[in-house]
Amino acid sequence: MNSAEREAWYRYQHEKYGIPVEHLRREFEEELSGKNPMDAPLEIPDKMEVVFKYSYGGQSRFFRELRENKTLYGAECPECGKVFCPPRSNCHTCYQPTQWKKLAGTGTIEACTVQHYTTSSFIKKVPFVCAYVKLDGTDSLLMTNMEVDDVAGVKVGTKVKAVYRELRLGAITDVYFKPLD
Amino acid sequence: MRDVAIVGIGTTKFKSRWLEKTYYELAFDAAKMAFEDAGIDKDRVDSAVYGIYNDFFQRQYQPDAFVHDYLGLGLKPMVRVNSGGATGGAALRIGYQEVASGLQDVCLVLGVEKCADTYNYELQMATPEVLRAILYTADMTYDNPAGRTAASGFALAVVAHRDKYGNPTEEQMAKVSVKNHFNATKNPVAQSPKVLTVQDVLDSRMIVEPFKFYDNCLYTEGASAVILASKKVAESISDNPVWISGLGASVDYVMPGNRPSIHTFESSRLAAKKAYEMAGITNPVEELDLAELHDAFTGTEIMAYEDCFFCEEGRGGELIDDGTVLPDGRLPVNLSGGLIGCGHAVGATGIMQTYEVCKHLRGEAGERQRQGARKGLVQSIGGTLCTWSICLVLER
Repeated sequence: MNSAEREAWYRYQHEKYGIPVEHLRREFEEELSGKNPMDAPLEIPDKMEVVFKYSYGGQSRFFRELRENKTLYGAECPECGKVFCPPRSNCHTCYQPTQWKKLAGTGTIEACTVQHYTTSSFIKKVPFVCAYVKLDGTDSLLMTNMEVDDVAGVKVGTKVKAVYRELRLGAITDVYFKPLD
Repeated sequence: MRDVAIVGIGTTKFKSRWLEKTYYELAFDAAKMAFEDAGIDKDRVDSAVYGIYNDFFQRQYQPDAFVHDYLGLGLKPMVRVNSGGATGGAALRIGYQEVASGLQDVCLVLGVEKCADTYNYELQMATPEVLRAILYTADMTYDNPAGRTAASGFALAVVAHRDKYGNPTEEQMAKVSVKNHFNATKNPVAQSPKVLTVQDVLDSRMIVEPFKFYDNCLYTEGASAVILASKKVAESISDNPVWISGLGASVDYVMPGNRPSIHTFESSRLAAKKAYEMAGITNPVEELDLAELHDAFTGTEIMAYEDCFFCEEGRGGELIDDGTVLPDGRLPVNLSGGLIGCGHAVGATGIMQTYEVCKHLRGEAGERQRQGARKGLVQSIGGTLCTWSICLVLER
């Protein structure tokens, strides 16, 4: 590879993956500085991705109410009376279709922990609280990422209320929970 | 080994898009139908096998766990199977093992696939993105970067077969397309019922040579389920059990360059051979009443006639010409419409084919009923140039 080819390679990978050119250059020089460079393991940038227009199917109303009306809904089984949130179109015990039920948006922390380390997608947001909330009027647990200044202040049994984001995307993260003061 | 019966069957409609359902909601619908058909409560099931092919389609890794939860089968053992286009057949094989081994008495085998949530916003259609998700199953280092598709893999085999034997011709392939689209007009769950002429097929646009538009199966969303039971349970709960009397499987080298030739699907032949040996079948055309073969493409259906020993190798094209495989022929193939007419909801497909054969063996296939059907074949294949192959012989 001559230097023009190499520069073109840096540019291509930088544009495709956002890797700083300096980083690519350093790696390249390291790679070729070894004893037997042609036999050294070769690493290349790559990613796997698929784009979606994802349908929530029978749960669509839950996300529409969240986005349009800042309201949380549960799904109630007409037979056993269980209320699910996350919602389900069918009760898994009775095999009956459920009905929508408006919720107050308050609940109780059933389990929680503090994340000091996390995935690439959230690594810049640590520390934050990850918790299971049991919403009032429901019989299931909803996972939430709580945005609080005092992560140590969130405990099992803490009463919480729903807070809705200004920019709502029709995703579960349109809602998060804060302790009831 | 114990005898294994199919005591319950269910399938959703096969559609290009199930906007109103998620993959686990579709799975629920198929499972509920199968439980009702078997006349049992879900709690009667000892274990489950889920056939789900592509995690990208479902937008979910380990989708089996979420199906299991949604069906209310928590705490029962289950396993997920993924064998490309043969996923449904492979799931049935594992379900058979669960019961035949004596480990379980009742096993739910359920296949589900929902591919059209993937989307290409620039072209405003799903298909190219569906293909992108599928091609992550081609060798990522050598095959995927060449931009090949499932269709091009199978086209290469069909062309090699044609070069060697002079068939399938484009007309023969078109006749298969006409047959399967027409059969679909008699099947209430089919995605693509159409009355076409040979000329319509020949005139449809080229997709991957020699396959025109109507030579291809379509991408489909749907779920299908069967309930397997031991002889003892089947005899106590069912008045119309269908028995799995033969089962054969083979997995070829996934890199076709490692095979002796690409003009024939050796794994498919082996799977059929083993299934026939187990079921005591020596002359399939005489002994079988119907067959559901994996017609992802018209040309590969013709190759499947040979792979399943309906004729000598190289003479598959003759069977569509002489009418053997037509609805009123000696051995009708794909009365459901097959993958081309009914649809190809990958994980569900082999189970939909099994559902179809069961309908005929029970005498419940309505307008498309094969009169007096007692024995049927299901062929489920998939992967690069037919890597996975499973054949099942079903009897009443």
